[in-house]
Amino acid sequence: MENELREKAKELLESGEVAVVIGYGFNRKKTRITPVFITKPEETDKLVFNELCVNNLSIYLTRKYRDIQKIGRPAIVAKGCDIKNIVVLITEGQTKREDIHILGVTCSGVVYKQELFKGELKPEIMPSKCHNCDVRNPHVADTVIGEKSDFTPPEEPTGMVFDKIKEIDAMSDSARWDFWNEHFNRCIKCYACRQLCSLCYCERCITEKNMPQWIETSAHPRGNLAWNLIRAMHLAGRCTFCGECERGCPVNIPLNLVNQKLVLTVKNAFGFESGIDENVHPPMIVFSEDDNENFIK
Amino acid sequence: MPEEAKIETEGVFEPKIMAFVCNWCTYAGADLAGTSRMEYRPNVRIIKLPCTGRIDPLFIMKAFENGADGVLVSGCHPGDCHYTTGNYHARRRWTAFKDLLAFTGIDLKRVQFSWVSASEAIKWVELINNVTDDMEALGPFMKFKEMNKKGPNQG
Amino acid sequence: MTDKYISKDGLNGLIASVKASGGRFVAPVLDTRQVVYKEVSSAEEIVDDYILPRNSYKEIAFPQTEILAKYELTRDGVTIDPVEIVARDTVVFGARPCEAASLASLNSVFTWDFIDETFTKRQEKVVVLSLGCVDADDECFCTTVNLSPASTEGSDVALYETENGYIVTPLTDKGTAFVSAHSDSFTDVAKGEEKKELVNPEKVEGVDLTKLGERLAKSPNYDNPEWAELTRKCCGCGACTYSCPTCHCFDIIDEGTAFEGERRKNWDACQFNHFTLHASGHNPRDTQYKRYRNRFMCKFHIYPTKFNSTGCVGCGRCIRVCPVRLDITDLMTAMSS
Repeated sequence: MENELREKAKELLESGEVAVVIGYGFNRKKTRITPVFITKPEETDKLVFNELCVNNLSIYLTRKYRDIQKIGRPAIVAKGCDIKNIVVLITEGQTKREDIHILGVTCSGVVYKQELFKGELKPEIMPSKCHNCDVRNPHVADTVIGEKSDFTPPEEPTGMVFDKIKEIDAMSDSARWDFWNEHFNRCIKCYACRQLCSLCYCERCITEKNMPQWIETSAHPRGNLAWNLIRAMHLAGRCTFCGECERGCPVNIPLNLVNQKLVLTVKNAFGFESGIDENVHPPMIVFSEDDNENFIK
Repeated sequence: MPEEAKIETEGVFEPKIMAFVCNWCTYAGADLAGTSRMEYRPNVRIIKLPCTGRIDPLFIMKAFENGADGVLVSGCHPGDCHYTTGNYHARRRWTAFKDLLAFTGIDLKRVQFSWVSASEAIKWVELINNVTDDMEALGPFMKFKEMNKKGPNQG
Repeated sequence: MTDKYISKDGLNGLIASVKASGGRFVAPVLDTRQVVYKEVSSAEEIVDDYILPRNSYKEIAFPQTEILAKYELTRDGVTIDPVEIVARDTVVFGARPCEAASLASLNSVFTWDFIDETFTKRQEKVVVLSLGCVDADDECFCTTVNLSPASTEGSDVALYETENGYIVTPLTDKGTAFVSAHSDSFTDVAKGEEKKELVNPEKVEGVDLTKLGERLAKSPNYDNPEWAELTRKCCGCGACTYSCPTCHCFDIIDEGTAFEGERRKNWDACQFNHFTLHASGHNPRDTQYKRYRNRFMCKFHIYPTKFNSTGCVGCGRCIRVCPVRLDITDLMTAMSS
């Protein structure tokens, strides 16, 4: 599979069809996977793909990375879940389908965090998204690399995130409040969640709007709550549950829970799943006259 | 004296309710209530915005942060929006936001949504009275007030 | 002062003794699947098997958020009340030798042209009990920056693990005073107590700090296109700076309403786009590689030349925490050649 990937990348670079291949490579000690940017055909041997390739490389397609955009047309190595983010970027006009070459890779799951990998991919070190993955075969791609997967996701989503959401839903108000406060209190406002999210592409984030300061920048429970809730809200109907925010969080805040909660809400209320079809508008910019309004007096 | 203690000794709790309303319907409705000399509970502070579509969820968070016990969001009935579709978009946003608030443990009685047209002065009066009753029954919103009292995590 | 001994169970006595004298005892504990420095009340909470806690103990002397003053607007005018610095006696147990070296670096920044009392008053009250490392991971690189698990720079008392306890070596006056003040908790070293062997992490090949410093000092290198290539993957989160024991940037901001609020000193990070954004809209560090370059220059050029201190202590936190695995040692190697 890796050979196939390298061959294709080489071909694309040699033909000049793309100027850069955004992919995965090993670090110096060959223990961890890190993003690599290949611009020369002879360097394509650096490309790898395995169960450690957890990063969602689609962040490098956003306008935050002007220097990468300047190199020229990119090809991007993407798992099905990463392609979902690219699809959202296309629906939101951040990039054009024809401006990128998607090297879709079939995937049989990745680890939740690279540190957990001890030579074997066990179900318990895989994130919930992998257990319920419906895009192990890339759904939008220019080239599909790897053997076709015949995995069918369970009908009812399973996994830790979904169990925990059910558990929180069953809690009393004050128990939920305590649960979230305990987690949000640890927030150090490093904004790794935002920076790792390919859908957080605003050049000026709401938390940087300081006349007035809308969201407190201090490590105060009030600002922490506001930041995490408002970020989740800004991703409503857009989040594809790629899990990068939670992976990047240096203090282990279970951000997947809030984001998946909103994914479920959007699915139930508007029947929408983000990242599937690049020709459909995201749910928060359209509406239906028949939207449910039983909560409005 | 802390607020909760004051309530116990003096038995007074005047809830603070923040109302975010649209300029064209609900505000006009509230205006009609005023010019018609209708009386309603004085606990509501109204902030007028051009359209419900302008009401950012952050406004609701800010209101709670600044001591509101309840928030009311109100605008034109579907189909009546001055800007044609602002309230439809707002409705979608609220659908998600209310679920998010509930998920964090905020009682949804604290955040109420309604449609009040420019002619519905009576509905407005009843709405405010009902919301005020609800907030009185719930008591002060201690979750945020306690959080405000807590200082930042200092070394 | 001669070496002393404290058993792992004996730590409870020391914690109680520190608490009784009004201090607090900070040690590595397990919190939400990670090891962090936190105040403890019993020895059982302390984690034994760890490389480095996730956070740096710099936050004891340099908290992430600190209230400097409170303001209030009333009918009679504006009142501004400065907030008294409350520095608590703090004992940091189990700091690693690499990290212990960092407080000295911070100190040189905070006392350089202006004595920042919010830092110094707190730092004076911190007693560092460093614990020699008996394990290292792939990310550790203290030996590359001329430190080692046996380094004593910055620690007041050095601890060395034995089978059932620790051999205690006071290093500074502060450390000696600490051991004397809590002398009941310590015993003499019994015969046969042997220090466990310290583990040196492997030196990163091809790094030469002198060459690195010289190269960074030359201006043409500043605009070397290599910077952009090497740090292209940096996503600009502040995780490295916020977990770094020597990063010290902060921002002063007034937060509250128009009527009352607080002036706060908050951590800030050079990795943020907003950090250098001018009011005019111009940003001198407009792309991520320039921000990363700044951090790198700060550690290996500005610190050593301006403060004559170590900018990077080789704890490896920035590598562990980096979501895109940008390895600072890769840059060190590249910039040494």
